[in-house]
Amino acid sequence: MMSAAGSDLGHFVPEIVLLAAAVASMFVHLFVKKGGRRGAGYVALAGIGVAGLALVLTPPSADALFGGHLMADSFALFFKAAVLVAGALSIVLAFRFFNVEKNEPGEVYYLALLSMVGMMTAVSATDLVTTYVTFELFAIPSYVLAGIFKKERRAAEAGIKYFFLGTLSSAVMLLGLALVFGLTGETGYAAAGPALAGANGLAALVAMSLFFVGLFFKAAFVPFHMWAPDVYEGAATPLVIFLSTAPKAAVIAVLVRAMAVLFGGYIREWSFILQAVALATMFWGNLAALTQTSVKRMLAYSSIAQAGYLAIGLASWGGSDWMAVLFYVVVYVVMNSAAFGLILLVDRGGRFDETIDGLRGLSRRSPVAAASVLVVLLSLVGIPPTAGFMGKYFLFTAAVDRGLILLAAAGALNSAISLFYYFRIGKAMFLEETVPLDAGPAGPESVSGAVMVVLAVCAAALLLLGLLPSLLASRASAALLGQ
Amino acid sequence: MNIFGMPILTFVTFFPVAGMLVVLFLPGSRGKAIKIAANIFTGLEFAATLLILSRFDAASGDMQLVERLPWIKAIGAQYLLGVDGISLLLVLLTSLLTFVATLSSWQAVRGRLKEYYVFLLLLETGMVGVFLALDLLLFYVFWEIVLVPMYFLIGIWGGERRLYAAIKFFLYTLFGSVAMLVGILVLRSQHQTFDWTAMVAAGSVLPGVLQGWVFLAFFLGFAIKVPMFPFHTWLPDAHVEAPTAGSVILAGVLLKMGAYGFLRFSLPLLPEAARRYAPAMAVLALAAIVYGALVSLMQKDMKKLIAYSSVSHMGFIMLGLFALTPMAAKGAVLQMVNHGISTGALFLIVGVIYERRHTRLIAEFGGLSSRMPVYAAVFLVMTMSSIGLPGLNGFIGEFMILMGTFSVSWLWTAIAATGIVLGAGYMLWLYQRVMFGKLTNPANESLQDLTVREFATFLPLLILAFWIGIFPKPFLTVIDKPVEKIIRIVNPAHYEAPR
Repeated sequence: MMSAAGSDLGHFVPEIVLLAAAVASMFVHLFVKKGGRRGAGYVALAGIGVAGLALVLTPPSADALFGGHLMADSFALFFKAAVLVAGALSIVLAFRFFNVEKNEPGEVYYLALLSMVGMMTAVSATDLVTTYVTFELFAIPSYVLAGIFKKERRAAEAGIKYFFLGTLSSAVMLLGLALVFGLTGETGYAAAGPALAGANGLAALVAMSLFFVGLFFKAAFVPFHMWAPDVYEGAATPLVIFLSTAPKAAVIAVLVRAMAVLFGGYIREWSFILQAVALATMFWGNLAALTQTSVKRMLAYSSIAQAGYLAIGLASWGGSDWMAVLFYVVVYVVMNSAAFGLILLVDRGGRFDETIDGLRGLSRRSPVAAASVLVVLLSLVGIPPTAGFMGKYFLFTAAVDRGLILLAAAGALNSAISLFYYFRIGKAMFLEETVPLDAGPAGPESVSGAVMVVLAVCAAALLLLGLLPSLLASRASAALLGQ
Repeated sequence: MNIFGMPILTFVTFFPVAGMLVVLFLPGSRGKAIKIAANIFTGLEFAATLLILSRFDAASGDMQLVERLPWIKAIGAQYLLGVDGISLLLVLLTSLLTFVATLSSWQAVRGRLKEYYVFLLLLETGMVGVFLALDLLLFYVFWEIVLVPMYFLIGIWGGERRLYAAIKFFLYTLFGSVAMLVGILVLRSQHQTFDWTAMVAAGSVLPGVLQGWVFLAFFLGFAIKVPMFPFHTWLPDAHVEAPTAGSVILAGVLLKMGAYGFLRFSLPLLPEAARRYAPAMAVLALAAIVYGALVSLMQKDMKKLIAYSSVSHMGFIMLGLFALTPMAAKGAVLQMVNHGISTGALFLIVGVIYERRHTRLIAEFGGLSSRMPVYAAVFLVMTMSSIGLPGLNGFIGEFMILMGTFSVSWLWTAIAATGIVLGAGYMLWLYQRVMFGKLTNPANESLQDLTVREFATFLPLLILAFWIGIFPKPFLTVIDKPVEKIIRIVNPAHYEAPR
């Protein structure tokens, strides 16, 4: 028995590496006097790198591991990779942020790693109890992250808000899980799924709805999104990058697994729920973004709207059609990180400007940075030849193939609406003149080379996947078939 | 046929991108080198498109020089290019007008040269790709690629209200194209392919009601681009604010993309819906003809006048397409080329005078013919070409459209003919007010006539205007078979009816 568990553990080397890196990072932060804070960051980044390597070397397995609690199938591995990419991008951008902001809390690095361990096990979870436990493991550090600058009023508010609403939604989710157990007497997805299909339909639907509320909250689907704009606006930008990408990827994975295995008998019902959620999320996110003046808040609504497109793909049920979802999750992680990254691009006298002023005339001060941001924006709108277009294309194709033509049409309409606010940034960069800095607190304006490189890499990736989407699509399809 | 190891259609599609990369890596301070490079690349591109002729079989109505590669296996999209007579003429028009537009920008564009030529070259790839792509997804990709550079051309180098005009153009056309995207998705789910040739071969597999919806979706995409009444409101803004080269390409090529879309996709792929909606389309086309002409009569700004005249002329083309007779459709295709030549030239003509005087108000001018005789002659030829004077290109196209439409409805023909009369009115009146009379405004005393470079930009357009006007046969031969093929699909009744 022990040896079996031991060999099962071999499928989770990436998580073990991350956990070890988190501990190491904590020790570096606590005990290295000079430069310990940044050192903690380097250790965390190295940990992610090693975990990524371990992930590549981990063969997918279709077996139920740890007595059916976890699986390390190719589906899980795909999402683990997405989480690692999100974590790496946010930590790299965090370095830049803390260079300027000076006050660098070293805790963020290992808290982020702990949260990632939670997410990576959550995407593997095939059991009600494990699902809940892993969910809390990734949620609790993220509450702390949101409020890490506790002396700043907005950040403290963000942390508290996220914490209260988050625990509430976890409780609701737990109730749903308990109902599933009550109806079936099973905790494993594989056994509970068929039992649930034969159970009392109404009770099962209630259980499913409650379970979904918890997930929808974490993914910031409308109408469970209220926390997101405030938290994203209040929290430090690199942490927003983390909070708006990695948890969403993990939640989508849990959702897909639950829909396919646990609630496989209720396809029509969850498809309907997700159609409604998709419509509400896209329209609300995009229309609210139109009215924002702060770039950061606008991007917060944009990330809500982007999740709405994902919901279209989720609603278009069925095996290989979810390839679109997997594809778009990765694309979303890259483009959303880059989008928030543009806030860190221009340092205006020792602080980051969250209005659009810093970006005006950027194309003449830094053409490469402006071109990269342009590609990211085109991808967010969904204009070819970018990955954002291909992702949306796959999502809408899946919907049309399932007869959800109007849902696809709504998605397309929303893409067009989103042009209007995304291109405020494009307009500012290319069509407007630089606004000279007022007598600010200190220092001149500068464009960060490091952020520029990150953005350029993201832009290049988005272009490459836009021209040759098969590079990622084939992996996404394989991940679904391996399930 | 290969150029540098690349199949010719791929080469002509992506050669401008190569030029773009070269310009991108030239230092921004070397303005002259950038200009020379851009002109060489657009010139070579025109030469390369002419090379297609050497392998083109004008007697065939099928797609030729087809290139086919797998692209996205998961959804069956292919990299599929091909050319028939219709595409051929439009590709030649595109490469010629882009070359002319580039040449005309030598003096006119001053700031941010590098970006300007980068966007211009990227635009050319998008346009050529639109006319060559036979895979609907690939077509959509090229269709959208066109938007971004045009947005910047208007927004950066445009006139005073350029920001407004640029975003209006972008938003309007994007709304249309996402509707078209949904239509493409539905077509794909019904046909299980994006391949245009396969779709045509399979015939109409869509049920009638669904055809109607897809037709509507395509209609939004194409009609906004054409632009058809009542979706034309972006056009005057975009044209007036765009720099001269932008206007030339906008009127000369971009509007044709909409008409081309109707002809290539809506008609043969959705024949039932096309027949059902043809009368409605014709009514919209007639509205555009008359409305555009009437509004042109009232304009004080030369550029705006020509912009509204485009609305009227594009109405003619749409009428020709939706008469669903081979004669009218051939006239419409020829008229696409003619409109590109004459309106492109007219925008250049306005550009010449705007560069000298920085105003386009008609009232500022008068009696210019005494100071600028060569200019006056060029202007006269193009005015006559736009009106449709026999012996010049416009006449042939309009005449064929009217003749082809007459067999369907004499009323449509009569209304369209009033558009010609009104057209003669506003164009001649414009010419009279600008060119004739006494030279009263002292600012016009020292105006310089056309320079050699400027005349060179007009020369190919002048030659084509006379060539098509006097000997249109080669042009008509090329489009004959492909157009017949499409009309045979969409309106087989025409061929069965006793003559």
